[in-house]
Amino acid sequence: MRDMNRALGRIRSRRNDIENHVIDEFMAGRIDRREFFRRGAVVGMSVPLLSAIVTACGGSSGSSSSGAVSSSGGGGKAGGTLRLSVLKPTTEVDPVLSADVGSLAMIAMTGEFLCVDENQQLTPWLATSWSPNSDASVWTFKIRQGVTFNDGTPMTANDVAASINRLSDPANKSNALSAFTGVLSKNSAKATDAQTVEFTLDAPNGSFPYYLSSDNYNAIILPASYTGGFDKTWPGTGPWKNTAYSAGQSATFVRNDQYWGKKALPDTLQVTLSPDEASQVLALQGNQVDVVQQVTVSGAQAILNDPNYHIISVRASTHRELSMRCDKPPFNDKRVRQAVALTLDRNQIVQGLFQGKSDLGNDSPFAPVFPQTDTSVPQRNINLDQAKSLLSQAGQSGGFSTELVAIQTQEVPQYAQIVVEAASKIGVNIKLSVEDGTTYYGDAVYGKSPWLDSIMSLVDYGHRGVPNVFLSAPLMSDGTWNAAHFKNPQYDGLVKQYIAAVDLQSQRSYAKQIQTLLLDETPIIYAYFYNYLSATRAGLSGLRATAMGQTWTDQMSVA
Amino acid sequence: MIRFILKRLGLGLVTLFLLSVIVFWSTTVLPGNPGRAIAGPFASEATVKAINHELGTDRPIITQYRSWISGVLHGDLGESYAQKRPVSDMLREALGNSLKLAILAFILVVPLGIFGGVASALNEGKWVDRVITVGGLSAAVMPEFVGGIVLLSIFALWLGWLPVSASWPPGTSGVEQIKYLLLPAMALTLVLFGYIARITRAGTVEVLHSDYTRTAYLKGLPRRAVIYRHVLRNSLLPTIAVVATQTGYLIGGLVVVERLFNYNGVGQLLFNAAHQKDYPVLESTVLLVGIVYLLATLTADILSAALNPRIRLGSDAS
Repeated sequence: MRDMNRALGRIRSRRNDIENHVIDEFMAGRIDRREFFRRGAVVGMSVPLLSAIVTACGGSSGSSSSGAVSSSGGGGKAGGTLRLSVLKPTTEVDPVLSADVGSLAMIAMTGEFLCVDENQQLTPWLATSWSPNSDASVWTFKIRQGVTFNDGTPMTANDVAASINRLSDPANKSNALSAFTGVLSKNSAKATDAQTVEFTLDAPNGSFPYYLSSDNYNAIILPASYTGGFDKTWPGTGPWKNTAYSAGQSATFVRNDQYWGKKALPDTLQVTLSPDEASQVLALQGNQVDVVQQVTVSGAQAILNDPNYHIISVRASTHRELSMRCDKPPFNDKRVRQAVALTLDRNQIVQGLFQGKSDLGNDSPFAPVFPQTDTSVPQRNINLDQAKSLLSQAGQSGGFSTELVAIQTQEVPQYAQIVVEAASKIGVNIKLSVEDGTTYYGDAVYGKSPWLDSIMSLVDYGHRGVPNVFLSAPLMSDGTWNAAHFKNPQYDGLVKQYIAAVDLQSQRSYAKQIQTLLLDETPIIYAYFYNYLSATRAGLSGLRATAMGQTWTDQMSVA
Repeated sequence: MIRFILKRLGLGLVTLFLLSVIVFWSTTVLPGNPGRAIAGPFASEATVKAINHELGTDRPIITQYRSWISGVLHGDLGESYAQKRPVSDMLREALGNSLKLAILAFILVVPLGIFGGVASALNEGKWVDRVITVGGLSAAVMPEFVGGIVLLSIFALWLGWLPVSASWPPGTSGVEQIKYLLLPAMALTLVLFGYIARITRAGTVEVLHSDYTRTAYLKGLPRRAVIYRHVLRNSLLPTIAVVATQTGYLIGGLVVVERLFNYNGVGQLLFNAAHQKDYPVLESTVLLVGIVYLLATLTADILSAALNPRIRLGSDAS
């Protein structure tokens, strides 16, 4: 035992305050082993180091599996052609500008990130380790050595700094700006030596590594000299090299024999670009592709329970936000908002829309998948009596008529219909209109957007590895996507404290306060957080899919 | 004849000009803007403004139109906003694909439709006639995607004879490509068969009842000779007109079929451009489709005249 303490003491003496705090939390039993590995990775401790600490504390050192991926490959045979179906990119594929699900999958074929988020577990990738300063306002990343771009030039710390600086410079109109705003400004990445890059943040941020991970899908590392034209030369450090690309049609990749990591198993990756999910599922059924990047429960009914296909399910924070205008009657009374939220039978919604492949929402963006989420906050369930009594307390006992505008995508129209029917049970008569994305978003600024201006508005939000964006833009007083027009100084203060918090214990304590406040105020109804699904032919394994949409097929064996 | 063609072409140019103005104007009425479409709903307003400025879509609509039309008149169709590729390249690819599909569809549907129509007319009122007429019309009024899905289910999913998607992998030979195009071409055959058979039937019935056909029979010509020499030649006139006018639909109107079969023709290009607010692509594609319609109807008129000496194309014919 004394030896163990001494070993632990030695390790601790070399760790900084934040790292020691994580170790404290683990030793005090406030976080379990799995969580310890997760948090430890965020603050930059390596897996061997974490294992050593677990052993020193008397536990078994096996790292918990992330569960983000299907069966791991590696043992498969090399050779053959793998056929993957990806949604057609809506714009030119460019890591700086692209924002759609097809483009982000294509970027990640040859491009790689500093770290990869698999089920909120950060795995080192082009960075080997990272660590914050004492208040988490400066983060230092160690860059993997011996990595080359697919044209043979070595990747350096300069390339890393330039790639991130390119994204944070407003002049480049990068799509990552919305994530970096308030976090990382122009030119705040600096290569301090050949293998170290230092990031000086706008404000302390305990989750910063997520901003440089696959969660921020634009953040792939490109040569410092890159100025555009990604889909001509497909630069990057990844396991594939591009040999042909026909925009909107197809792409061909071959194994990159100079790849620094495990070499790709298939000789060739043939990507078909499809206009929609229906044609992707048909192509899988017709044996024209082996893997479909993403399927949904509503769109892939035909293959969901068919043993000829394998569905890979990743828990995610993807959700829908049903906002109610807190600044306009009748929703300026929180009791009315609570009443509408109480009409929804969430268990039934999750079964009906997702065959259970979804978590329940509790009217805050803290999805159950986030470790910061405080699960002791009571779950809101259907309660029509309470809903009616809240309505009458608010002076609306006879009910009222209102309007809901919803976006036309995936299951949203069906969900909107469920909301309409549920609300009618307490006399709330909702007129529903479903608009296509272009009309719905409009100019996406207040006063010129059905999304942001409607009395009730229903929109889709994609997965994020940390809830920071969900907490700020749609809910903070100065948020740019605040469709609920929710303005609450107490809330704003809590979110700022939450974002700056580095250790899980304080993050959770702020999370609990935020969850409780939002459950009471109910500016937005969050009914579910559904899983990210991919599909393959049965018998294929080794697909790595992230809830963000990256689809790595290089360890799938088809030979 | 030449005067007629020139006059029609002149009027066509006016139509195309008006078309381009209407499309340009209507893009300003639609919600959203190209910068927003490219950057996505979650991009900041500053980013969207910067993109619009770079594209020039923040200029007054008249200025934008003037710079676009002067480019077109100089043979420069511009660059796609979304794909950053020359519009002319995108148009050429899409038109090539559309032509391949249209030609295969014609090869299938024209002989079938004519045969069906003639068989129907020769058996006027009998069950053969009823089956062809009712069957053809039912298929024609069915939405394209319904027929397409039925064909897909049978030939691609159930029997596994034909590919689901019409997009062939790179390096597929010309003959192999036909296999990929067969299903969408069959779907189009379902749509067009009814029209062609119906028109052929009407023309044939009319000719069968005409005096000269009766004369031909009376002077002792065998039935086969009457049908080939007199009936078909005269009854096919309206059919040719229908077939020619369908060219426009086959080149520019196949949004649904192309989407269902994941085929990159003019229809998809048009759809995506409208969706993405990719004005240079949208404008040029609309113009292209307009030109195809113009040429198709003109060809129909000229063919009718060539085949029927009674039609004289002159100043009074237009």
